[in-house]
Amino acid sequence: MEDLTLPKNKLTEFIKKIQLDYTIFAPTSNDGIILYKQIKNPSEIILDFCNSRVPPKSLLFKQTETMFRFKLGVKAEISQIEFSNSKSVIFGIRPCDAKSFSILDHVFEDDSIDPYYVTKRKNTTLIGLSCTQPGVNCFCTSMDGGPTNPDDVDILFTNIGEKYFVEINNEKGKNLINKVSLFSKATTDDKKKKQQVEEKSKGAITRNMKTKGVKEKLDKIFENEIWKKISLKCLSCGICTYQCPTCHCFDIQDELTLTNGARIRVWDTCMNPEYTLHASGHNPRPARMNRTRNRVYHKFNYYPKNYSVIACVGCGRCINDCPVNIDIIDIIDQVKEVKA
Amino acid sequence: MFQDDKIKNDFSYLPGQCVMVSHLGFGECFFAVSSSPTKKEYIEVSVMRLGKVTKALHECEEGDVLGVRGPYGNNFDVKGWMGKNLVFIGGGIGQAPLRSLINYVVDNRKKYDKLDVIYGARSTKDLCFKPEFEKLEKRKDVNVHLSIDKKEKGWSKFVGFVPDNLLKVKPSPKNTAAITCGPPVMIKFVIQNLLKLGFSADQIFTTLEMRMKCGIGKCGRCNIGNLYVCKDGPVFSYDQLKNLIGEM
Amino acid sequence: MVDQNKLREEINKIVARDNVKYVIGWEKGTYGFQVTPLFATCSEDVDKLIFNPLCIHNLAVFPMLGEKLPLRNGAKEDTRKIGLIVKGCDSRAIVQIIQEKGLDRDDLVIIGIPCTGVIDPKKINERFPNQTKTVDVEEDGKNFIIKTDEGKHKVPKEKFLMNKCKSCEFPNPIIYDVLIGKEIKSAKKPDYKETTSFEKKKLEDKWDYWEKQFERCIRCYACRNVCPLCYCNECMVDQLNPQWVRRSVNISENTAWNIMRAFHLAGRCVDCGECERACPAGIPLTELNKKLEKDVLELFDYKPGINVEEKPLLSMFKPDDPEDFIL
Repeated sequence: MEDLTLPKNKLTEFIKKIQLDYTIFAPTSNDGIILYKQIKNPSEIILDFCNSRVPPKSLLFKQTETMFRFKLGVKAEISQIEFSNSKSVIFGIRPCDAKSFSILDHVFEDDSIDPYYVTKRKNTTLIGLSCTQPGVNCFCTSMDGGPTNPDDVDILFTNIGEKYFVEINNEKGKNLINKVSLFSKATTDDKKKKQQVEEKSKGAITRNMKTKGVKEKLDKIFENEIWKKISLKCLSCGICTYQCPTCHCFDIQDELTLTNGARIRVWDTCMNPEYTLHASGHNPRPARMNRTRNRVYHKFNYYPKNYSVIACVGCGRCINDCPVNIDIIDIIDQVKEVKA
Repeated sequence: MFQDDKIKNDFSYLPGQCVMVSHLGFGECFFAVSSSPTKKEYIEVSVMRLGKVTKALHECEEGDVLGVRGPYGNNFDVKGWMGKNLVFIGGGIGQAPLRSLINYVVDNRKKYDKLDVIYGARSTKDLCFKPEFEKLEKRKDVNVHLSIDKKEKGWSKFVGFVPDNLLKVKPSPKNTAAITCGPPVMIKFVIQNLLKLGFSADQIFTTLEMRMKCGIGKCGRCNIGNLYVCKDGPVFSYDQLKNLIGEM
Repeated sequence: MVDQNKLREEINKIVARDNVKYVIGWEKGTYGFQVTPLFATCSEDVDKLIFNPLCIHNLAVFPMLGEKLPLRNGAKEDTRKIGLIVKGCDSRAIVQIIQEKGLDRDDLVIIGIPCTGVIDPKKINERFPNQTKTVDVEEDGKNFIIKTDEGKHKVPKEKFLMNKCKSCEFPNPIIYDVLIGKEIKSAKKPDYKETTSFEKKKLEDKWDYWEKQFERCIRCYACRNVCPLCYCNECMVDQLNPQWVRRSVNISENTAWNIMRAFHLAGRCVDCGECERACPAGIPLTELNKKLEKDVLELFDYKPGINVEEKPLLSMFKPDDPEDFIL
């Protein structure tokens, strides 16, 4: 599809126009912490940031999701949740986070469809924003991605100075763009500028993870000593799992107040000791070693075996936020070096 | 029993499959259906009273309404085993999923060859489905071998662990499938002993359990390596398990 | 600055002992200003040991994390001691745990280091952002010397110290088996200015402030896991029967969690600040804990983690304890 441009000073107008048909989620500042939230006014949008603290998976796969409500009594009543067809836009999503949706789609759409995620996914248009200042721990280029990669978004905006270079990836993106007439065709000069931004951003990514052969190597070192060593400092806190854009584990609970209740789904973390605790008391993963190892294997061995893709997008949040500096790039380096 | 007749007629399952039973306000639990699909009027699950939901289930009375969703998971290869000898090795409450299979096979007795049922528990108090075993023992076309772990007054049958009883019964591996279920430690030793007796990995089957929440392979909890016990199991052959990396 | 060679020499002696499992210290991290806990079992490990103003972690959390797993037939429990390097505030956490009988004094070999203060990671990363290679930090009187890729920088200590260090009353470890370096004389007193000025606010303003903070809470429980004094076998939030705090994440449950945790730490929190450092949502947790610390000091004249022989605050009473809240 044709590449377009949008003058920077028209961005507010663009947002205001699409707000008439779409609910807009965009990066906002909360006491300095960048989070994707619903905005009412385009002035709430922050564009000068590296990445949000909590990944935008929280918009499609909500942390607390009500599955259905019920009323107890002689005859229990269950009231289904009505799935709305209202359309949303996630504006300013980074290419790595957008890739995480493509990875999560396997979990929620293959076999049986999870309506809570899938309805939102279908009704959400992703307008990505290319990274011009990758963070210290970003390594999307090692994970089949890139800071200016349009593959997983519907529309990609890249800042090329006075304008945004706009790439439309699919019909969904085209439908949105067609509603607004603020765009002009991109010139060869514009395309050159985008390429320059792409090269500069890629060049600014200093860390990389060598993923070749990791899945096969992991098959051989399950009982290796390195897992004990790595997990000694793990606090089982769960920050890595909550901040990870591809982590999808959840818990289901019934919550009641007297007779009114709801069955809810909440994020859970495999780092929790009781995550796999059987009612009999048996726990397949009683030690931190088991759980840390399981997390690495899930991302780099089990998920690729089931869906042919590594469940990591290289956003670096787990490295940034781990209180004891457990570094996934360092772990994979050790995996590659250790003797099978 | 299903409230809706249409659902009752549509609900079909094979031994080994499981259902999620909901007690609204308390939660859900994943149970293997312990009744055979040859009984069409109802489905049965065997519930051990351990935690919040199972305690509430035990306190239910006749006529109370529960939620059921399923059937989930894969089933025992009842069609593929037709014409074969079958050995069932159960321990304690692990007999529940095997009961569905044993009753199905017994209801279709002519389609299967020799049947051996080996079952044991810690004590006579822990033996499950006692009235059914008494009926089964009276049948001439089924060999029943019961055991308890420790000596008890009045018990004249085998005393010892189930894997040891298995060695005593010494089933032949020729044209036989062995199916086992019980505590993880028992399964481990039963498989060891079956291999000793000459069974090959693809002749040994088991059904596993895990902590479950969604039952459909999405919440990520019940995995053994890259397989989910709720979706790719709970029935596994030892052939699948022996090369699987992961914790059980 | 702590003599790194003397430190390694002493640790080597301890690691060589048969009855010591490992010594927990710090080593260089994987990028920038990161420093990471090190579990040294041999002299090659000890060669990596460092101590500098970046060593902020409270290592007292690790002795309580060791899992007691079922043993194989014939195997014996590993009862070897754990060596631990502590700064002043870290040692207070250990003292508090020993008071509560969570640990035996004999379970540990404590290496104490009198501390001149640690660097606030948020402040230093703002001043020197995007450091990929690991950075060296040294002390030079009232300044820090920061060696980055771009060169050497001299920055004033006052600007980059953790707030807790600016009013640190106990820079010297309270208990130790070995002391590395000389004890520091500190005239600093705890500072409750901010707490007092917040107390004077109207109730609605207080709720507004904390609601805004707790709304961001994602209930990752990192604050609990990084805290050396949160070591309950089953935390109240994990209990289902009865369920004290629901699993749903909303302002009501978040408020319950954070306030209940602060109360469970009353008279126990040693203000090491790890909870606030670990929190990914940037919630100022030390403000909550400091208020309870102030109340405990005013009501009972008690400071946690000072005296190993003392009983924990809430399990003892004195005849002159305040009674004005009892009807």
